[in-house]
Amino acid sequence: MQQNFKSSYNVHVVRILLTFVGMIIVGSLLRSLLLPSEFGDYGHYRPGAVTEEANREMRNKTNDSCLDCHYFVKKIHLKGVHEVVSCEVCHGAYSDHVKDGKVIGEMPVYRGEEIKSLCLRCHNKIIRARPPESIKMIAMPEHLEEKNVRTDHVCNQCHHVHAPYKWIKEAREMMGLPEKWEGGSSWKK
Amino acid sequence: MHEILATASGALGYVFPNDLHVHWSLMIVLYPYITGIVAGAFIVSSLYHVFHIKALKPLAKFSLLFAFAFLACATLPLMMHLGQPGRAMSMFLTPNPSSAMAGFGYIYTAYAFVLALEIFFIYRVHLVKRRQETTGWQHAMYTVFSMASDNLSERSLKLDRKIISFLAAIGIPMACVLHGYVGFIFGGVKANPLWATPLMPVIFLLSACVSGIAGIIVAYFLLRKIAGKSIDMDCVRTSIKFLWGFFIVDFTFEMLEIFSHGYMATAHWHTLHELLWGPLFNSYWVWQVMILSVIPFLLLGYVSIRKVSDSLLRIIAPVASVMILLQVLLMRWNVVIGGQLMSKSQRGSVDFQPHWFEKEGIFLSMVIMVLPIIILYVMGKVFPFWHDDNQSEV
Repeated sequence: MQQNFKSSYNVHVVRILLTFVGMIIVGSLLRSLLLPSEFGDYGHYRPGAVTEEANREMRNKTNDSCLDCHYFVKKIHLKGVHEVVSCEVCHGAYSDHVKDGKVIGEMPVYRGEEIKSLCLRCHNKIIRARPPESIKMIAMPEHLEEKNVRTDHVCNQCHHVHAPYKWIKEAREMMGLPEKWEGGSSWKK
Repeated sequence: MHEILATASGALGYVFPNDLHVHWSLMIVLYPYITGIVAGAFIVSSLYHVFHIKALKPLAKFSLLFAFAFLACATLPLMMHLGQPGRAMSMFLTPNPSSAMAGFGYIYTAYAFVLALEIFFIYRVHLVKRRQETTGWQHAMYTVFSMASDNLSERSLKLDRKIISFLAAIGIPMACVLHGYVGFIFGGVKANPLWATPLMPVIFLLSACVSGIAGIIVAYFLLRKIAGKSIDMDCVRTSIKFLWGFFIVDFTFEMLEIFSHGYMATAHWHTLHELLWGPLFNSYWVWQVMILSVIPFLLLGYVSIRKVSDSLLRIIAPVASVMILLQVLLMRWNVVIGGQLMSKSQRGSVDFQPHWFEKEGIFLSMVIMVLPIIILYVMGKVFPFWHDDNQSEV
């Protein structure tokens, strides 16, 4: 039953091999089009990325930049245990507020229930990575119950957010109570 | 057991904040599961094509298509998890030979080519014939699929047979490397005591073989039942024997690994112990080991050793296979999720609860598991699954 075929016996194999060759050629062309010109100068690291990153506009600044203007906050903030906390941790990036020496936007100031979630971002007992000596860890509303205050209280009704023990210390002085804070840390400086 | 102090829902003991969240979730459970099914299904086909186990002939073609359908979806969970599918091609544009993750991409691609070529050569006679029978777009499609060749001479078919043997032969080590490599990716994470064992590639590979064979048996029963066709019981008996054989080795290795850790009381044994007897107790000991390993192990042993009737085998074979498929899925879960439940502090663990409609949730997992079945259905329209569908075969 010898049959006559139009194509030769191995043409499909040849065509598959040609397809592979074609794929390699197309792939190489695509590669040369898509690859950044400087790729390979430093292995897989693209040198242009350094300049790109360096030229990126800076979003964050140090506390000194903020406290240059906010004089009254400076007087309180630098005297409390929150001295080491960056302004931007709670208020957002400097660049959203000031550009070229001009105020361009209001910074968020948290109030009411919002303040509770802001404080718990660092002070929540669930986050147990930091030792109690460096940060006070509390659980809510357990902390309020311990202190015998109403459980709907928010943090800044007792704590000044910039100097957490300021009002507590002042109240203790007024009432003539011992200065040592039972929790361990004392009103700093 | 230590005194476990619950500090919050979901965390026990002392947990680092960056360990609270399980980052590799359901998608990363599915990734080795699907890849394993691919490797295992290919083994079934190789048993016929390379080792000439004649009884498996009815499954030889189907298992290749089955493997291909799952292979097409194997990287889907990874891309869903990473969320940047556009970057997947970067590994070819800027290849990095020292990247363990990119290594999978290269092995996967090479294996996909081998599998596609093997399917092409096995179905070539069918494709050429269909090309001659059809017109219009179907004709165009079959022309592309048959590489526009009409030669079915004895000489041409002899060449095909040679190429098929070659592809099937190199396909076996490649399938082993494909899934062994997935095990290596986990086994290479040396910071994780549950994963970091040189046995990981072996266990992954063996469970892959098991899940692939079980998947083929379940699909065979299901599809033949739906199509109203007869089931070749000799073929089922043989595949069940292979399933049992692979499962003996797989299950033994899984257990030996735990017992070696326990007997040697290796550096991290206390952490592993608390994990396996703590949050993983139910999913590991109760479900994976006791229910879904011991029961199918005994069932498969019984039907392999004793001469059971066809009607009994018709019930036991799919039931045991489904159980084994679930066992392997749970094994992936216990390895992938379990490994992340213990904190690097080695003093605590977290809890993991998948949700239905989250980014990597249960719903998406189900969609991804259904997708290969849809692909298989579509492929079935072009490539007939069973050898009795047409007589034109190599």
